[in-house]
Amino acid sequence: MAEIRIERVTKRFGDFVAVNDVTLTVQDQEFVVLLGPSGCGKTTLLRAVAGLGMADEGRILIDGRDVTYLPPRDRNISMVFQSYAIFPHMKVYDNIAFGLKMHKVDRAEMERRVRQAAELLHIEELLDRFPSNLSGGQRQRVAVARAIAMQSKVLLMDEPLSNLDALLRLEMRAELKRLLREIGATTIYVTHDQIEALSMGDRIAVMRDGTIQQYDRPTVVYDRPVNRFVGGFIGNPPMNFIHGQVAQMDGVLTVRVGHLHVRPEEEMIPLLGGHVGRPVLLGIRAENMEVFDRPVEEGLKVRVLVVEPLGSQNLLTVRIGQDTIKVATHPSFQVQADQEIWLRFPPDKIRWVDPDTEQVLYP
Amino acid sequence: MEPTPSAPPAPRRRRIRWAPYILIAPTFIYLALFFAWPMAQGLILAIYDDEALLTLRAEASRDAPKVGHLPQGTHLEIQGQQSNRLEPGAELGENALTEIWFYVRAEDADGGPVAGWVPERRIRVRERAPDGSPLRGTVRIKLGQDVDPRTAVHGEPREQSPVVGYLEPRTPVAIQEQAVLEVWYRVRGLDEGGEPVEGWAPSRYIQVFGDENRGRVDRGDTGQFTTRFLAKMWNDRFFRPAVTNTFLLMVLIIPTQFVLAVVMALVIQAQLRGSDLLLYIYAIPLGVSDLAVGILWFSIFTQHGLLNSVLYQFGLIDAPTTYLSAETKYWIIVAVWLAEVWRATSLVMVIVVSGLQAIPGEVLEAAELFGANLWQRVRYITLPLLRPSLQVALILRTILALQVFAVVIALSGGDVVTVLANEVYRQYTEFRNPNVAAAYAGFILVLSMISAFFYLRTIRSHQEVAG
Repeated sequence: MAEIRIERVTKRFGDFVAVNDVTLTVQDQEFVVLLGPSGCGKTTLLRAVAGLGMADEGRILIDGRDVTYLPPRDRNISMVFQSYAIFPHMKVYDNIAFGLKMHKVDRAEMERRVRQAAELLHIEELLDRFPSNLSGGQRQRVAVARAIAMQSKVLLMDEPLSNLDALLRLEMRAELKRLLREIGATTIYVTHDQIEALSMGDRIAVMRDGTIQQYDRPTVVYDRPVNRFVGGFIGNPPMNFIHGQVAQMDGVLTVRVGHLHVRPEEEMIPLLGGHVGRPVLLGIRAENMEVFDRPVEEGLKVRVLVVEPLGSQNLLTVRIGQDTIKVATHPSFQVQADQEIWLRFPPDKIRWVDPDTEQVLYP
Repeated sequence: MEPTPSAPPAPRRRRIRWAPYILIAPTFIYLALFFAWPMAQGLILAIYDDEALLTLRAEASRDAPKVGHLPQGTHLEIQGQQSNRLEPGAELGENALTEIWFYVRAEDADGGPVAGWVPERRIRVRERAPDGSPLRGTVRIKLGQDVDPRTAVHGEPREQSPVVGYLEPRTPVAIQEQAVLEVWYRVRGLDEGGEPVEGWAPSRYIQVFGDENRGRVDRGDTGQFTTRFLAKMWNDRFFRPAVTNTFLLMVLIIPTQFVLAVVMALVIQAQLRGSDLLLYIYAIPLGVSDLAVGILWFSIFTQHGLLNSVLYQFGLIDAPTTYLSAETKYWIIVAVWLAEVWRATSLVMVIVVSGLQAIPGEVLEAAELFGANLWQRVRYITLPLLRPSLQVALILRTILALQVFAVVIALSGGDVVTVLANEVYRQYTEFRNPNVAAAYAGFILVLSMISAFFYLRTIRSHQEVAG
């Protein structure tokens, strides 16, 4: 069992509060991704868990043991650094063996574990090389091998793929996911790449300005963001937000978007009832709109500004009132810039956002 | 499709890009002119004696064929002498024997005109031009009973040349020209191989003994490579103590400096409160001249200096101790050691600090995270990664330790404890022997080069080995 519990942790740098009263529990063998834009405090939080920067307030428990003020080496953790931080003067073998040597693991066991880690990362033939003779991807593998050779219960990763080129990143993403499932360590993984977060994590903790915005499974974070920030940060393209006006017409509650009256789902009506006469944001993902090249009932007529064919889909940029939104269509949908199309918003795909609090309204 | 045969591409003329060469040319000119040339000139003194051999010639003339060489110092028999007109601009030195001849016009006893050369000693000059050159004179009277009272006039300014006429004593003469002659000796001596050689040489190179028949080669006119100066350095009574002391100081100073410098650098790198101030304090000695440092430490170690006062104040000694005397050589060594450590450790520290700053923070954090304590991080990560910096510092410090000079002079006066650099100075100034001084300087240079080469070969970093 290696559950990580972060309780009300705050970390300041002078007047700047990098991590603000964060509480987070990572279950045993769980893979949690800390996701957020740069400067959101995700790396600071990870370093507090690692012991490389002590928390100012709050507690950190690993496996029920309070490690808040323990030095890193007493926490039974290992880590992969963003710059890999492999020791340039040691051969790959000694790099992987370093932690074991420091922990006085006996020679035979050390040898076995180094070989095993190297095998898992497919770098057995590099063991006699110096890091200066390795490519970026190989160094990355050495850094991961060094971390897993420790067989720690907790594995921390600080943007491990951010220094790799796009193709290698794609390959390592899948491989890391497989590897971590295999070794079954409790993992905290820091990244600013939302695709990495969605594809790898068991749960994602979305951070902003030192606080956690949402902490849930990737599909939930993607589908049901708690606020406008999460919706706008996750997904490529990010969620669209269209300005609307809540109105009561003939006893029926609708939201007026342009000339269109959108009818919310039944269970949303009580929540939107309080907003009558006030603006509301209609949040919808690019791929969730129905697109027609001819007038349809309950369709909003818009003009296409830009067409971006991406192969698997066509991405259209259209304008609705003051909002510019992205619409994903099937590549077979023939459309040119300046053409008129009709959009339909399926009520179950719409997330209604209170423009004042920016919170998404859920029943 | 058929590949269409095409004409081979015209060979592209490779354009030589001159810009880099032009840019670097001043550097090479500078190096050659102000570095290589004077250094070679200086060092050649140690192995080249430019007055080693005296050339003997078949006749008393510069143009006569050479018959052999005599080494400097060879004893000679002088067999004859002859005067010879000097080439213009010749340097004569103190041994040269010269005489002056006048070209005169006069009338002989029969009233006929006579013109020719007469030695200066036969003419009394009566009238001189404003610039001092003689214009007129009279023939001197010859003393003695049996001699011909007349003075011979020669066709050329040499005794051996034919006589063209005779002048009566007291005849007035017009002096038209004067010639300076140098005496050449016909000498006989043993050459380097022990073979006797005989020939003519100018008097300026020969020291003649009192009996006028013997002499020695005072200096040569031809250079020769020699190990004489090196041998002289080797057998110098200060050579061994200088070498011993220089190495002793090196062995004391360098390890102390490196341990201290690494510790100081680590303290600064730890970014404690006020460590910036510490850096400035550490750097102060870099701004003090080495002689000033020597004097400073001299004032600490003198009989009524700081050290004695402090010890006396605290009652640790009853009377002042004499540290810097000939009887307490080891105290002088200790004082030089302390002064040099005080003075130059910061230099190493600056290099080490810059080396430390090049070590990525994440590497040290990784070491900490994987279980290394402070000592292990220094031992396994910091020191190995500092290797290139330490190598540079080590080369620099070793070379500077071989050159230690002013501090030693200030603390020992240069006699009780001497070092190699002090011997260069002593040979040059006190003994007036630039050749042996150059030999010492060359010795220091060779030691510096050997040590640099040794460090570069043995302390090679792993990355380089792998690459």
